[in-house]
Amino acid sequence: MKRTATYIGLITVLAVLFILSLQIGILHLDTSVFSLIGKHGSVAATTVWDVRFPRALGAVVIGGALGIAGALAQGIFRNPLAEPTLIGLSSGATFGTIIGIATGLAGYGSGVNCLAATLGTAMAAVITLFLAPNKNFGFLLTGIAFSSILTSVSGLIISISQRPGIQSLSFWNFGSLSLINFATVRVITPFILVGVVLALSLARGLNIWSLGENTAFYLGMNIRRFRFVAIIAIALLIGPAVSAVGSIAFLGLLVPHVVRLIVGPNHKHLIGYSALLGAIVLLIADLLARAAFAPHEVPLGLLTSLLGAPILIILLRARRAQWVSEQ
Amino acid sequence: MITLAKISIIRGETKVLQDFSATIAQHQATLLSGPNGSGKTSLIQAIAGTLPIDTGEISIDGIDPYHSKAMELAKLRSVAPQRRTFSLAFSVAEVIEFIPARERANHWGSTLELLGLKKLLTKKVTELSIGQQQRVSLGLALIQDSKFYLLDEPFSAQDSEYQIRILQLIDELKKERGVLVVSHNTDSLHSHFDQELFIS
Repeated sequence: MKRTATYIGLITVLAVLFILSLQIGILHLDTSVFSLIGKHGSVAATTVWDVRFPRALGAVVIGGALGIAGALAQGIFRNPLAEPTLIGLSSGATFGTIIGIATGLAGYGSGVNCLAATLGTAMAAVITLFLAPNKNFGFLLTGIAFSSILTSVSGLIISISQRPGIQSLSFWNFGSLSLINFATVRVITPFILVGVVLALSLARGLNIWSLGENTAFYLGMNIRRFRFVAIIAIALLIGPAVSAVGSIAFLGLLVPHVVRLIVGPNHKHLIGYSALLGAIVLLIADLLARAAFAPHEVPLGLLTSLLGAPILIILLRARRAQWVSEQ
Repeated sequence: MITLAKISIIRGETKVLQDFSATIAQHQATLLSGPNGSGKTSLIQAIAGTLPIDTGEISIDGIDPYHSKAMELAKLRSVAPQRRTFSLAFSVAEVIEFIPARERANHWGSTLELLGLKKLLTKKVTELSIGQQQRVSLGLALIQDSKFYLLDEPFSAQDSEYQIRILQLIDELKKERGVLVVSHNTDSLHSHFDQELFIS
């Protein structure tokens, strides 16, 4: 009952935010977006349907992907702080994207680029698992160190690359939805959808996995296959998202924690709700990024950090984060 | 039948077990005892398939556990480890659901009842006492549909009432399956077991 009410509530909020995202922006609309439905040609209509609409759609797809990716990362690494940007997964995606662009193999927003980012994420996930198989403090430090290496190398490549479309390091590090258009959304969505399906297929396994690798094995889980599918899923969620909008910090950390507070830790619910809340948070962040300091647009990732980090500290201090330390 | 033929186990640089041989039959309850650090848990892990042995042979119904598929092993043996860490606030019912009803052993309902878990179903597992958590962990192992149950110190956090109930469960289980129980305190247990193994 509580879950159904939450679900309906979140869908409603998402719909309202989506409409607000079409309505609000640097160009002030004199009329409501509803009056522009079916109209084309005017400046207002073009702004709403060709700029704001794909951007809001991208926010929903990417926010959902990052929400699920956060839930997956925390589940797979059995660490409440395992956040894709923190443990090097997003840096892996950025690295893959930049290599693709710098070598001229894949332009920004292309399918090949999306694939390169996915491979970069998978590589980072494998290395993180390999370097730090334990779920203790060292795991996070290793992730942070590894992430710094990848970011630095990406920065070096950007500095010396002459390729157009490689974007600035700031774009990749702080994230922005400003480059999203229909073509990008069309490229990344299939990747992300496969990631979502794989993530959902892992739900029961993730529940069991939370009791430790041995218990998972005792209950008959194929550990190697589980890890493999989990890495592919997380790569398909993070890689395409980062290849389109850069790293958006804290969303993947915050969203699953809040969802656990509302619907509990069961991954059968956690994954779906994390997608919804992820989409909502990214829509809010993007609205703020566009509107708060208009006519300037601020980097989205700055806002998610600024909003997300304090909320997380409050949550953890309240000891209601639903995750007892395993130390 | 579980056969242990002259097995030795090395952990790090210490030999925890040397040339140990035994058979553990179905329809029997076997008690394995020995002082702390004698290798009882290592032996359970070796039979469970999570710890490699140095020399010798282990087989469960002719199958080498360390080189078998998890799914195949799960049907042969179920394990209740000494400790399981419940890090997420699942309800007890959700933990039981880790094994879907259709895959559970036919004694699952009575097992949950005897372990006193039916009245805890809505409780969060992270908020239970150590003894209650141990019973949840035991329950999860005992409802798995396996030929053998390997229980590592199942009584350690239990009061006398639940110790008796768990012994009752073992009496029931061995009618159809095999049970291996590790315990360092064996005083009141002898009459319930058909075989006793001792590691020094």
